[in-house]
Amino acid sequence: MGKTIECYFWNPELYLEDKLDYKYQDIGDGIELKKPVLTTDVLDKIIIDLKQKRKEHLLNMGIANIINTIDRVTDQWMNPEYTRRKIAFEVLPKVTGFSVEMLETLGFGHMLRLLKKDNIPITGKLQHKNFTEFTEHGDGLVKAYGNAEVTHSNYEPEIIGHICAGNILGLAAIEMVIDKLVDAATWVKVPTEEPVFGALYAKSIEDIDPQLAYTIAVLPYESRDKHVQDYLFSKSDIVRATGGEQARISLTELAEKHKIPIAGHWHKFSFITIARDYLDDRASDIAELVSLDVTAWDQQGCFSPQEIFVETGGDVSPEEFAELLAEEMETTSIALPKGVNSGKMMVLDGYHQYFKKEMMGEPVRLFPSSTHQWLVIYDGNKPTFEPSPLFRVIKVKPVNNIMEIPPLIKPLGRFLQTVGVAIPNDRLIPFADAIGEIGATNIRTISNMTLQKTWEPWDGRFPLQELFELDNIRWVSINTKNIDEDIQKSLERKRMIINNNMKIPLV
Amino acid sequence: MVKFPSNEWIRNFKDELNKNEKYKEAAKDWEGDFLFVISPDEELKNEVIFYVDLWHGECRGAYMINDEQKAAFILKGPYSNWKKVINKELDPLRGLIRGMFTVEGDSKLILDQVKAAQELVNTASKIPVDFEK
Repeated sequence: MGKTIECYFWNPELYLEDKLDYKYQDIGDGIELKKPVLTTDVLDKIIIDLKQKRKEHLLNMGIANIINTIDRVTDQWMNPEYTRRKIAFEVLPKVTGFSVEMLETLGFGHMLRLLKKDNIPITGKLQHKNFTEFTEHGDGLVKAYGNAEVTHSNYEPEIIGHICAGNILGLAAIEMVIDKLVDAATWVKVPTEEPVFGALYAKSIEDIDPQLAYTIAVLPYESRDKHVQDYLFSKSDIVRATGGEQARISLTELAEKHKIPIAGHWHKFSFITIARDYLDDRASDIAELVSLDVTAWDQQGCFSPQEIFVETGGDVSPEEFAELLAEEMETTSIALPKGVNSGKMMVLDGYHQYFKKEMMGEPVRLFPSSTHQWLVIYDGNKPTFEPSPLFRVIKVKPVNNIMEIPPLIKPLGRFLQTVGVAIPNDRLIPFADAIGEIGATNIRTISNMTLQKTWEPWDGRFPLQELFELDNIRWVSINTKNIDEDIQKSLERKRMIINNNMKIPLV
Repeated sequence: MVKFPSNEWIRNFKDELNKNEKYKEAAKDWEGDFLFVISPDEELKNEVIFYVDLWHGECRGAYMINDEQKAAFILKGPYSNWKKVINKELDPLRGLIRGMFTVEGDSKLILDQVKAAQELVNTASKIPVDFEK
């Protein structure tokens, strides 16, 4: 008999298990995933209980106590012998398609660390009037764009719903923790692609503080289960959702129908900018760092780069930089290999598309991996922004000056998110001002693109604040106050990953 | 009854805090002075700043100041929110999370001293007070 993993969680004292039918999904190696077929009758009982547990327990629990509890939960997950962690490592590579090394390093090494006491944010909102220029916040800088126009405020949300996209591992855990800081009970729709971790994490809270855990329900329903989603929206004070364009349209409509606010995080594009100043004897180091951004999460995240703009006029040309990057991609891909979802067809598609251009005499050069693990393309045509096929396929494009990039990508506006940079401090602020103005929200030192910090805004809003207030301020962050220092630190960390396969400590 | 905010109120606060045994025990490891900045709003015309020097369970000094002064921590918020804290209608940490207060200084240290912070609030709430109208 194989192993059955429950992909759901709510207060077991409701004794709902016998009232439900279940679906089972065989994921191989004798492991099956168990998902309930949710009914509005059962959901009604769950929602009433969430409200009750919030009132009886959460509202009487001090914030410090909540944070200390979560810290203890996270400590369990940091222990390689922790049973739930072992289950996660058995199941997650199968359901997510990511390699164990990727999950270990960037998932458990970084994402879970965000839930350590020292990283949990307790400042939910900044005064935008104090941030009209890039100003210190956390260990970086932030700037506020726009005028405050509050469109929603509810400082005491009772029930918060979360719809999590499948491309961000651990998001469900972060969401259920953040809700507790605003005293809200939580329902989470875990992604169809990865329905496992949310329930495992909720159960790990139950191990430490059952009453706190019972303010959380993990609900693995399908998007096509309209009656479930409709019911849940009708019972929520706000819903935060991540997803693509289709999700944006349908969930926004649903929120409007129920007259509730939605904090949406939709489809985004991210890219890298390398200034000529770093294209000297440091160019190899820069390529080494960039290779981590391209490799991380196989480019599946909204924060993953889809293009690299390299400034001309340095000692190393953009084309030579592409060649350096290809060398580093090989090394990084050995330390962080692809998993079962290799996207080989995407890589081959990218190859054939650009091979034809190269044959036709266009200024294109291909730097392929012999194993189709990755592909670096140098495209010397007039720079434009084109989406990558992803799965570690990246284009390097020359630009005469980094300040040409903001007008070039302006049409993408609200779709922009993370910009990985190797730009010296004196040129960074004017660039950040211009790129922030047109829509980019997170500027991070190269190799840090997928390593968000808890003080940073997310798509221009602070994750805590948007749960109780929505305004029209768009926040833009730079993840460091000193890029030279951050590049040095990042190199040390990158080499730790490559040489020792060590978990990433937060910078 | 004393007026809040006033010199008289902060002097009372110091005396009451030094009589509070629970505070003495909870704050025995605390080292650090505070500026409590009460920002004007519809109910208060001008900004008021209290300087409070807290050291190992003792309040070594507490008085109103006119100019900016350095301190390890600066807790700032509008008068109406301070009123809610004194009336025990608002937990200051919950206020911080919701942006009703801002803090300068290492907020995580305050998190570690949550019992001491509770006793500060308890002490403040015991002083019979006349709020600004």
